[in-house]
Amino acid sequence: MINYPEALKNAAKSMVRFKNPINLLRLIVRFIAKEVDLTHASMLVHDPIKKRYTFIDSRGESRIPVHLIKIDNDHPLILSFLGKEKKFHKGKEVLYLEHLQQMLRNQEKNHLNKADEIQINKVCDFIKSIKAAVCIPCFYHGELLGILILGHKKNEESFTEEEISFFQTLSSDAAMTIKNAEFQLELIERNRQLEEKLAEIKRLRKKEQETYYQIMLSLAREVREKDDSTSGHLEAVEKLGFMTAEELGLDLTGKKGDTLIAALRLHDVGKIGIPDSILKKEDKLTAEEWVIMKQHVEKGVKILEPLSDFKEVTEIIRCHHEFYNGCGYPRGLKGDEIPIEAAIVSVVDAFHAMVSARCYKKGYPLEYALNELQNNAGKQFHPQVVEAFIRALKNNMYKYYNSRVNGNRQVHEAERKAV
Amino acid sequence: MLKLLVVDDEEEICDFLKAFFEERHFKVSTALSGEEALQKIDLEQPDVCLLDIKMPGLDGIQVLKEVKRKYPKIKVIMVTAIETSEKIEEAVRIGADNYITKPLSLEYLEKDVHQKISEMA
Repeated sequence: MINYPEALKNAAKSMVRFKNPINLLRLIVRFIAKEVDLTHASMLVHDPIKKRYTFIDSRGESRIPVHLIKIDNDHPLILSFLGKEKKFHKGKEVLYLEHLQQMLRNQEKNHLNKADEIQINKVCDFIKSIKAAVCIPCFYHGELLGILILGHKKNEESFTEEEISFFQTLSSDAAMTIKNAEFQLELIERNRQLEEKLAEIKRLRKKEQETYYQIMLSLAREVREKDDSTSGHLEAVEKLGFMTAEELGLDLTGKKGDTLIAALRLHDVGKIGIPDSILKKEDKLTAEEWVIMKQHVEKGVKILEPLSDFKEVTEIIRCHHEFYNGCGYPRGLKGDEIPIEAAIVSVVDAFHAMVSARCYKKGYPLEYALNELQNNAGKQFHPQVVEAFIRALKNNMYKYYNSRVNGNRQVHEAERKAV
Repeated sequence: MLKLLVVDDEEEICDFLKAFFEERHFKVSTALSGEEALQKIDLEQPDVCLLDIKMPGLDGIQVLKEVKRKYPKIKVIMVTAIETSEKIEEAVRIGADNYITKPLSLEYLEKDVHQKISEMA
């Protein structure tokens, strides 16, 4: 009768196009409706979330409106397939309206009581209301995933065994398809949940890093206030550092700009671990004290290490006391081995140290500081960075001047004239 | 014989419910729009009306208002795919006798129709 292998092959071909496996169920329903002369063919599919069965497709002249009807998990038809109505139906088998009606006619012979009769009537009523003759369960590992509902043959004959066994094959394919669809939905749902969790973790991590960065900044402020009361000036110098980078034509878009700013702000955070007796010492440091003083670089690196987003910042801080000629510390890097950002921090830091007043000294005049930078270009400092820094300072003299007034109010008129 | 009017803009649904209730010895007529529903109600004065909420043109809520104004005795059961409570609440406020959401259980629908009829007596 039906060339099922051929039909399956065609179905498999079209399956490639089916991202949604439910479409294959529709194909099965349509295939039956087309190939077998039935009043209708329909498919009820289990919805595990809402615990009910609904029609996903119906074809033929007496088809069922698909979005209209549901049957719940405890419907007598479902229960009879689940083997809970053994008196009139042996579980997983195909259910024929004709058999049920015969049974009702021969109640005594079949040892049915009133309760059985009520249940059979309910199943019959439902099957009749959906104009069906045969209901074929779609089982997958004992789970009733759907029911293939078939109307009457238009020639009014009964179904042959061959036909029924063919429909059973289709039903078992349908069950697999439904399971497949469930797995897919589950997978999509799990994926969604996973992505949600990932986003949450990312958000928390970002927040944590942000918090840590804020702590770092307060630490850095603490350090500044320890040996320097010119934080307003320091902020201006940070800006100068940024402008120097601009003068050098560095790419400061996005994270790169943030990295430089963070490095300019945090480079001396390690000084928090240096005793005040050394940090605030008025006289020259002894050789032993210098060893301790130089540790502020490594200490800063240690403090910043937990900030995984700040690897580049940490590297800049590690290098901000390296000299262009290789005579700096801690590693004695030279020239281009030193990140250009570290070379900028180095110039900014030295400049700031020279012009700032400390508890033990007045700040040097601007002219002196600039001379020092130029004299040490190519030795302590990267020559191009010194040039760029001086250009940036000249271009922004007005802003710088204001910051000095607001910062430590120790501006020499001479400083302005010097540039 | 009890008279039932099924109102739904989907012809398939009208036909299906007509067959279902005729099998259960109702006299059933159908309407595919709110406008048609009001005409048939004037003409036939059914005992129970199954009324879809979402229809183009005159929708179920408007039909309900009109029915309850003219014939407060007609029992109206709203049948709707809309699960948003606002529309349902509105319908109940206007005087719908009950509501049932699609997909529906045929057994429950039948029981509810009989229930409404017994309330009439």
